[in-house]
Amino acid sequence: MPPLDVFITIAGIDLVRGDDGVFRVLEDNVRTPSGVSYALENRRITAQLMPEVLRTSGVRPIENYPADLLACLTELGTERFANPTVALLTPGPLNSAFFEHVFLSQQMGIELVEGQDLVCKEHKLWMKTVHGLKRVHVLYRRIDDDFLDPVVFRPDSQLGVAGLTAALRAGNAIVANAIGTGIADDKAVYAYTPDMIRYYLGEQPLLPIVETFLLRDPDVRAKILRDLDQYVIKPTGASGGYGVVIGPRATDRQLAEVRVHIERDPRNYIAQIPVKLSVHPTLVEGADSPLLAPRHIDLRPFVLLGAVPRILAGGLTRVALREGSLIVNSSQGGGSKDTWVLGAAC
Amino acid sequence: MLRRIASNLFWLTRYLERAEWRARLVDVNYRLLVENPAEAKDEWWPLLAVTGEWDLFAEHYAAYDEQSILAFFTFDPHNLSSIASCIEYARENCRAARNRISSELWLEINTLHLETKRWTSEQMLSRGVVPFFADLRERFYQISGAMQSTLPRDSGYDFLSLGRWLEAAENVTRLLDTKYHFLLPGPADTGSPLDISQWAALLRSASALEAYRNTYGNSIGVERVVEFMLFDAAFPRAARFCVERLEMALNRIASVCPAELRASAENNAARVPSTYQLGSKLRAGNASAAIAGGLHEYLLAIQADCAAIGDEIFTAYFKYE
Repeated sequence: MPPLDVFITIAGIDLVRGDDGVFRVLEDNVRTPSGVSYALENRRITAQLMPEVLRTSGVRPIENYPADLLACLTELGTERFANPTVALLTPGPLNSAFFEHVFLSQQMGIELVEGQDLVCKEHKLWMKTVHGLKRVHVLYRRIDDDFLDPVVFRPDSQLGVAGLTAALRAGNAIVANAIGTGIADDKAVYAYTPDMIRYYLGEQPLLPIVETFLLRDPDVRAKILRDLDQYVIKPTGASGGYGVVIGPRATDRQLAEVRVHIERDPRNYIAQIPVKLSVHPTLVEGADSPLLAPRHIDLRPFVLLGAVPRILAGGLTRVALREGSLIVNSSQGGGSKDTWVLGAAC
Repeated sequence: MLRRIASNLFWLTRYLERAEWRARLVDVNYRLLVENPAEAKDEWWPLLAVTGEWDLFAEHYAAYDEQSILAFFTFDPHNLSSIASCIEYARENCRAARNRISSELWLEINTLHLETKRWTSEQMLSRGVVPFFADLRERFYQISGAMQSTLPRDSGYDFLSLGRWLEAAENVTRLLDTKYHFLLPGPADTGSPLDISQWAALLRSASALEAYRNTYGNSIGVERVVEFMLFDAAFPRAARFCVERLEMALNRIASVCPAELRASAENNAARVPSTYQLGSKLRAGNASAAIAGGLHEYLLAIQADCAAIGDEIFTAYFKYE
């Protein structure tokens, strides 16, 4: 078991609000959720552009996120080690989230390491410093499981460090989030999440999840293939909005294509009831000048868990900049907005 | 301090210093031309002779004119040592060590890098060669200012210092060597007005003329110039000053070695011995002896020492076991 029984130190859960006004969980991101630096940078820009509005509206500050994150990572470490050293593992400057890795490591005052900076010896994790090897106790990893340890996972990975898994098993190192949490990112799990909460926690879910159907079930599949244009179809293993087909807006050709994919490999697809995402006034290019127009948004709050949970009093609001589009992912041309939480801390 | 980051910081300043020095070389070449008799009008080749890029240039260009040589020297993508290439490498190292670098410094370097992408011969010639490179040198002062005023004096700064002062020590010898390539009409011309004006031009290019005059007064002589540029302990472009800064940075790096790692880290003087040897040599040396034994050879020997220092720093601090 990981220290404090915490598998997921950092969660970024995508929430959407439909036309019934109810917030629902759209997706869990509990492997290596990203985007928090955008939330922090957006706030910095807002503070520059309209400091007065911000100050007089009672907006809660979010700048303590890096300190909270470091506190959680350190709490995991102090379960086992006297003065734990924390480092952030990045794939390197070519990764699209490298800016965030730099930003967070700088804000937390910890080393930003690449796989080549690390070595495992005697089932312990070390980083190569100018004065020799230095122990690393807690690794905040921003690399997927597959690339983390070439001994156990992909042997061709240059991004990870050989022997890490053995060091974890020996209890000499901790990675956050723990290996295997990516299973919960698999979209097929969403069909079970409410039952998992009820069974394992004995609690009712606070927020409903967008209703999810597994296409590997022949009866479900037959029903959904009959009304394919009524559902959103997503590949279970993909992220970034890739491969998503929104039935009501899809062309006949797209529907025909996705039908072939589903019939060929039904386990790899889920169907969800489309949610008419709420809209937010957004500055867009007009015919003559920029104008405010409604654009669809979702919300990714960030939840940290160490000895205690810490929730960012803000979040990443993602916006689909194309008119009518429901795909907010930045890899699909989405933007982001500063997100305000008002009032005193609860 | 991670070995990779230490190496990034070292190469960041090393490439910046190299780029700045190249901008200075253009200036010294230009000034030597202006001081030269009229028959030597288009002599830009010493620029490539002193940097050892002559053969590569000849592969790509048929004409030896000012425009071709300057384009090749400054931004031609075929030349991996051009000023633009140096700035690009500096910027890559800066990006990789971004979490150790202030936003101010990053902005200066990245902006300059983006500008180099737009450099053309037309732009350089329409601005004028001397103003173009004067503008460029100013940018390096801005970068240096951002570095000095926004970075903490920790080991990261010491590795920045290593790259900067090692490159600077090497470059001052190359700058002095430029004079070697501008042959005088005959041996009798040593000490002639032409000779003197060439040495003055060289000092001015190193931004050293005023400091030289403060030290030695108005009269310019070969021996004094060499004394000043190699053996002065106070002028920041003098070889001795640079090497002593190297010694200080190495001492500081060793002094902050964490207690638990101290056993594995050897004595610093033993890890980079060539620095201290070169320091002793420059402290004990003087211009008349250096010139008597052949200045060109003396300068080459310092360059070889600098190369050895670079290798030792790599082995001691950057190389992965």
